[in-house]
Amino acid sequence: MNHTFIIAKRVLSQLKNDKRFLALSVIAPLIIIYFLKLLLDTFPSYVNVKNYTIPFSAFIVHFLSFILCAILLIQERTRGTLERMMIGGFSKTSIIGGYTLGYFSLATLQAIVVLIESIWLFKLNYDTKTILMLFMVIWLLAIVSVMLGIFISTFAKHEGHIFPFIPLIMLPSIFLTGLIQEKGLPIWTEIISKCLPLHYAINIIREIIKPEYNITDTCIDFGILLGYVFVLLALASFTLKDSK
Amino acid sequence: MNAIEIVKLSKYYGKIRALNNMSLDVAEGTIYGIVGPNGSGKTTLIKALVGSLRPDTGFAKVLELDPLKDKWKLRKQIGYMPQSPALYDDLSARDNILFFGKAHNIPDLKKKTEEILLFAELTSRASDAVGTFSGGMKKRVSLCCALIHNPKIIFLDEPTAAVDPHLKIQSWSLFRKLAQSGVTIFISTHLMDEALLCNKITILRNGEILAVDTPQNILQLGKTRLKVYVNNEEKISTIASTPNNLAEELKKFGLDKNISSITLHTDNIEDIILSIIHEKVKEEKT
Repeated sequence: MNHTFIIAKRVLSQLKNDKRFLALSVIAPLIIIYFLKLLLDTFPSYVNVKNYTIPFSAFIVHFLSFILCAILLIQERTRGTLERMMIGGFSKTSIIGGYTLGYFSLATLQAIVVLIESIWLFKLNYDTKTILMLFMVIWLLAIVSVMLGIFISTFAKHEGHIFPFIPLIMLPSIFLTGLIQEKGLPIWTEIISKCLPLHYAINIIREIIKPEYNITDTCIDFGILLGYVFVLLALASFTLKDSK
Repeated sequence: MNAIEIVKLSKYYGKIRALNNMSLDVAEGTIYGIVGPNGSGKTTLIKALVGSLRPDTGFAKVLELDPLKDKWKLRKQIGYMPQSPALYDDLSARDNILFFGKAHNIPDLKKKTEEILLFAELTSRASDAVGTFSGGMKKRVSLCCALIHNPKIIFLDEPTAAVDPHLKIQSWSLFRKLAQSGVTIFISTHLMDEALLCNKITILRNGEILAVDTPQNILQLGKTRLKVYVNNEEKISTIASTPNNLAEELKKFGLDKNISSITLHTDNIEDIILSIIHEKVKEEKT
């Protein structure tokens, strides 16, 4: 456990020292949400834009957390520090745990700023309980994204290898999880949609913003999202090899 | 007692043979050099010994432990300095050493870090980010990270490549001191002159052992060439590794007034190692 905190501390110090990275992680989602506002403002008045605002914000956090975590972990591999950590006595469980803990704070920061901006920019009148619930979902999705980033990074030898995973994982999330089109997609696309964590996050978000929301309606989706964290953690532990 | 025992170790990367049926023993407290050109399998061998690489056949024992099965026991007792610096550029030299040192729960880690920084002459730059360091300085920090936990065996992959001569001399003096205190140093190098500084060397090419011996015995394989120019015509005479019979050779030419120059070239370790490699290449071609 001590080793996990040592690695988490190092990840945090790296994030703190890398001002450009930190700025990109926090400022980029803010800018993208502003662009989203410009786009949604062009929609006809009968479209309920509230249905899209928070789901899109969640997607932005999902995408950025995934890609930034994957890239940093690949950098560890190409620089040789990952191998040195393992030979030096850090276990892969400590490494994954340390990374998760380190990014946990970044994911929390991203979830907070994205939610605050969305509520302010789109003038959303949600009560405190709803806001806290929305934060929980975005934050949980960010953790899933960090796990996904760690898992996917084990298949890449350099940063460039991460890009093929964007159309493979992120684009289907945009088109098939109900982010844009809630109904009318072919039934078979539901199978793909149900494999993607964003599907469950959007389900929960759309339930939370309903006035008649009851937490029991989203227990299963919350459970699945939480399940993603553990499944991806197990997969990342399995695929992160300390000997080739 | 042997610190390292390697038996019929082979590793293939697809069709490329990185290690071929390699067997060798390394005695405790020695400086053991793995010498060979780039791509000869030096790094692959070190990675197999530190448990970072799974061999296809054969096995290795380091401190009587299996590098793969007993990796956690073993990794506490070994130091590893990879070929690339493998450091965090955003962290200072001190923080890099502290970070890798923390993996071993060392008592007085801060004090030890300051001592090792002093040895590597890095104290004045200890608080600077490693990203601002030259290649040689990064190597020094990397060496400090490998030594911080007082390992029983140190695996050094080309530790003195791109290091200035002053630090190179200092590093070798430290390696000798460590070996005297019982630490085994397993060092890979493509710098042939460094082979002379080892207690024993193995010459590698294409994952195969070409020779295993002490540098002194390897030097005996060398030749001395006596070149005598008579009427501007070069006459070469090859004599034994040490020119004991030089007088006899020179007698052949007498006191000829047409002798314009006499040169004597004794093979150095680099010439000998390269000729061993070239002979192997010739043998393979035929």
